Amino acid sequence: MMKFKNLQPIPAKRREDMPNSKLGITFKEWKAKKPNKNKWRNKRWAVLVFMNFLFWVSFTFDIGVLEGSLSGSRFFGIYLMDPYNALQEMFIGSRTGYYAMLTTNFFIGFFVILMFYFLMGGRTFCSWLCPYHFLAENAEKLHNYLVKKRKIKEHSYNIGIKYIFWVGFLLLAFFTKTLVFETINPVGIISRAIIYGPGLLVLWVVALLLFEIVYSKRFWCRYVCPIGVTYSVLKKVSPVGVQFDLSKCGHCRDCQDVCLVPHELWFVKRGEATKEIHATGADCTNCGLCVDICYGDALKLTVKGFDKIT
Amino acid sequence: MKKSKSDINRRNFLKNSAVAVAALGAVGVGANYLKKLNIENSKALLRPPGAVNEDEFVYACIKCGLCVQICPIEAIKLASIKDGLSYGTPYIDPRGQACDFSCDAMQCVETCPTAALDFIPFKKAGEDAFVAYQKANPVPGKDYNPIAVQSKAMKSHTKMGLAVINHKTCFARNGKGFKGSPREDGFDGIYRSPNPKRKERKASAVNDHQFNREICDLCVTECPIGETAIAMEEKITQNGEVFSRPMIKDGCTGCGVCVMICPSTPDTIIIEKLETA
Repeated sequence: MMKFKNLQPIPAKRREDMPNSKLGITFKEWKAKKPNKNKWRNKRWAVLVFMNFLFWVSFTFDIGVLEGSLSGSRFFGIYLMDPYNALQEMFIGSRTGYYAMLTTNFFIGFFVILMFYFLMGGRTFCSWLCPYHFLAENAEKLHNYLVKKRKIKEHSYNIGIKYIFWVGFLLLAFFTKTLVFETINPVGIISRAIIYGPGLLVLWVVALLLFEIVYSKRFWCRYVCPIGVTYSVLKKVSPVGVQFDLSKCGHCRDCQDVCLVPHELWFVKRGEATKEIHATGADCTNCGLCVDICYGDALKLTVKGFDKIT
Repeated sequence: MKKSKSDINRRNFLKNSAVAVAALGAVGVGANYLKKLNIENSKALLRPPGAVNEDEFVYACIKCGLCVQICPIEAIKLASIKDGLSYGTPYIDPRGQACDFSCDAMQCVETCPTAALDFIPFKKAGEDAFVAYQKANPVPGKDYNPIAVQSKAMKSHTKMGLAVINHKTCFARNGKGFKGSPREDGFDGIYRSPNPKRKERKASAVNDHQFNREICDLCVTECPIGETAIAMEEKITQNGEVFSRPMIKDGCTGCGVCVMICPSTPDTIIIEKLETA
């Protein structure tokens, strides 16, 4: 996480500067003012289910809308390609000297996807499209419930190891000359299971989910998945994301409780923010859970610079 | 001395990284093992038309399944994890549903985004045939149809494998004829009959076709390629016994229609993959 080490934190807000004091009400009343809506979550789940359903519909009823699966597809005839798969292919090509698989359609798919997720905010793929995310997000709720009931203990690791896996799976592809990651990739497995019918490897996904429920929260998405890491690189330069306005924040930190990647909301803690306006970092999936819960509308899904145009 | 927070973080990261590297190593070893298994198993997998060498195919294919989706007769299926690292790659089970070329233009090959099914040679073969036909027929006549010629050239260019006939169980070799529908009840394979009298535009169920032959020659008459691929040949044994039997020719594409249509036991005709594609 980038904490702008060279910047000094802005001094914590005084009591009279808190958003509830400005309105002349107590903090509890201020929080109760906002009805609990799941606007973004509902939109997001609708998109996720619809898109995966569209893959299935396109195959089952043989219509050329969204053919293929999440590892490679064609949307109204435009090729799309999983960027991590594409990187692995290039790596293997550099090992074997066989480049025939790097076709025109391959590069069209690769660049269209990179462009699209640059415009859409990188890891947007994760929470808005990835079928494994949908399962894991609900598994996370179950995990949180079990932790709260003290049935299990939470085990967390350093989130930096996902970069090790990112490099590692590329190297594995290089040395074994196969798409090793694609064989164990739950995203591809579930996508294919939805479209072509489930196979034995669905058991691996179930095992992974069980591990996430009883041992370590969101293990795959947080610490392993190199697809997410690939998209997170785009997020660093993408104009789309969640923006935080310090002046509207009441520091209740409820957003961090619901956030799927809480370290990205480090600035909501009282006395931590270094700027008046913060944007979330590379791991933010633009899921909108924090936007839904924020009582003072301090968090918003925005396009950078868009307000300057309109 | 008290450790600072960043020190603990760093140590934590190094510890976790070590585990991550170990896990990656395990995956690598596992993958290598599966790859060895794969080399044995994948020989049995009949790849769709235009598949590159198995060594390259295993990584060129990104397991998207576009070929599965485009195939009008659903001949192409995706391999399961039982086939090791071939998991998710396409194959054809000709006894269940053979490739009958009823898409007419090698659509599975054309749709492949990573040229695991390589379209370039097909395109060239088709264009060459098209140009040659146009040169041979400078004035378009009544039967002028370069598209059909192009399509046929592309079909004939396929080399998925080679059919091998076991004459011990072959009906024709044993002097038997055949009457009725070729396959067992409930068989749902489909194909487009090459018989010009039927003039089929779309594939129909194998069992909808009724045959009545004195000497069984279904594999020969129903072959989508024709006599360059398979033909009946007469032979006289040393005892003076005369019989005719189907023989595979150089033009065989390994599409497997003969395998699917054969009314004899399942392994009377099989497709053998070629060592080099």
